[in-house]
Amino acid sequence: MRKGSQGRSRLLLITLIVTALFLITLDLRGVGILEGARQGTQTILSPFQRAGNVVLTPFKNFFSEITHLGRTRNQIEKLRAANNSLKAQLANRKNADGQLGQLKSILDLAGTAGFKVVNARVISQGSSQSFAQTITIDTGSNAGIKKNMTVLSEFGIAGVVKDVYLNTALISLATDPSFRIGIRIAGSQQIGILSGRGNRSASLQLIDNLTSVKVGDILLSRGSVANRPFVPGVPVGYVTAVDNSAGAIAQSAVVHLYTNFSTLGVVAVVVGAPVSNPGDALVPVKPQPTPVPTVTIYITPSPTSTN
Amino acid sequence: MITRQLSITIPIFIMIFVVQEAAVDQFRLAGGGFSLLLIFTLIWAVLSSQEIAAIGGFTAGLLMDLSPSSSGPIGQWTLLMIAACYAVSYLGSGNESLSGNPLGLTFFATSAVFFTEIAYVVTGALLGVQTGSFGQILITLFGISIWSLVVTPILLPLFSRLHAFVFNTRSAI
Repeated sequence: MRKGSQGRSRLLLITLIVTALFLITLDLRGVGILEGARQGTQTILSPFQRAGNVVLTPFKNFFSEITHLGRTRNQIEKLRAANNSLKAQLANRKNADGQLGQLKSILDLAGTAGFKVVNARVISQGSSQSFAQTITIDTGSNAGIKKNMTVLSEFGIAGVVKDVYLNTALISLATDPSFRIGIRIAGSQQIGILSGRGNRSASLQLIDNLTSVKVGDILLSRGSVANRPFVPGVPVGYVTAVDNSAGAIAQSAVVHLYTNFSTLGVVAVVVGAPVSNPGDALVPVKPQPTPVPTVTIYITPSPTSTN
Repeated sequence: MITRQLSITIPIFIMIFVVQEAAVDQFRLAGGGFSLLLIFTLIWAVLSSQEIAAIGGFTAGLLMDLSPSSSGPIGQWTLLMIAACYAVSYLGSGNESLSGNPLGLTFFATSAVFFTEIAYVVTGALLGVQTGSFGQILITLFGISIWSLVVTPILLPLFSRLHAFVFNTRSAI
């Protein structure tokens, strides 16, 4: 009896494992029905994700505020100083104001380059159980979004459209380990390839071994054929460290991405780009130091009596 | 009997999957957060027979593969979850210090989450799935494990009662 039960259990296990291997084989061979299954899942999930986003936004804001506490004393002091003025804004639709600010910056960025964009709200962050960095937006093929379109944040490149559904789209973020983008360095026009590393710092590999890169260099997207997946001239990040290893074929560097991926609330998908390349027009302006007024005090010595 | 149990179990897995995708994934938690479906399935497997555990693993793995944010080929999570759930059930069967003790079960489930994620990274490397730099993988692995260690004791009574309800067993942790 026990032996029969064990035999049945093993047979079931083998059947399930063979089914899983069969699925892997089909997927790796590119059978369309499996890709359709994932799209169908997203179509079913999107109403739940929208509802979840609406219900959980106050909790998200709360947790976001908790996780950002205690970074540095200096930041806390600055936050305290700004607290009074922010309180009024917080009371007045904090979330909407934040998204409006992001949207304005995105439109400024897109407007400067002449990009035609479709704006979208982030409705879900992808699960990191599979080590992927993705977000879901509330706009899809209905609004003209297609696969492999550039996604902008208020600061520059946010990612690329990975999959499109009727009312939603899945965005692969620039931090995703599989993310690759061709870049050029503003000014020197050297080219290279930037790869995501799972966090806000990305790695840059220059293509030409005769060129060099230095800390502070600003990287812009190089652009693709027919502007997909990437439109040219969008700020990507700036170089924070350079690797000058002696045996390397070409120079490599660490890049800090402009986009703050933990606060992405609104993004824009580039659905159309002008024929002309915007060049370096989108290079972020460096913050100018505020001049500190100097006060000169003249002291006239008063006559003192001497004995 | 097993058909009735599975007809209740599978909708529960689907419900947990929807909660994971619609609610848990809304929060970008430090260190990668946690997978509710992964924790639930592994606890379910410890408390179940090997057959039920394998079928549960298959269902949960298939759902995880169908998740739009999943980067691997469809079937990778399915394969891993079948193996993980069967192994967890095999190790837990007849071992009261694991399946009957909340503390033991918590550590066992957390370890299972950790090793399942390692197995995902290893099989992902074989199948050509990009999983990021070594440091980032370590951060995510430890982040998910620590979150699992925190979340499991909170959810364990609920999962255990749900299991007892489906399988008509009297003991619940």
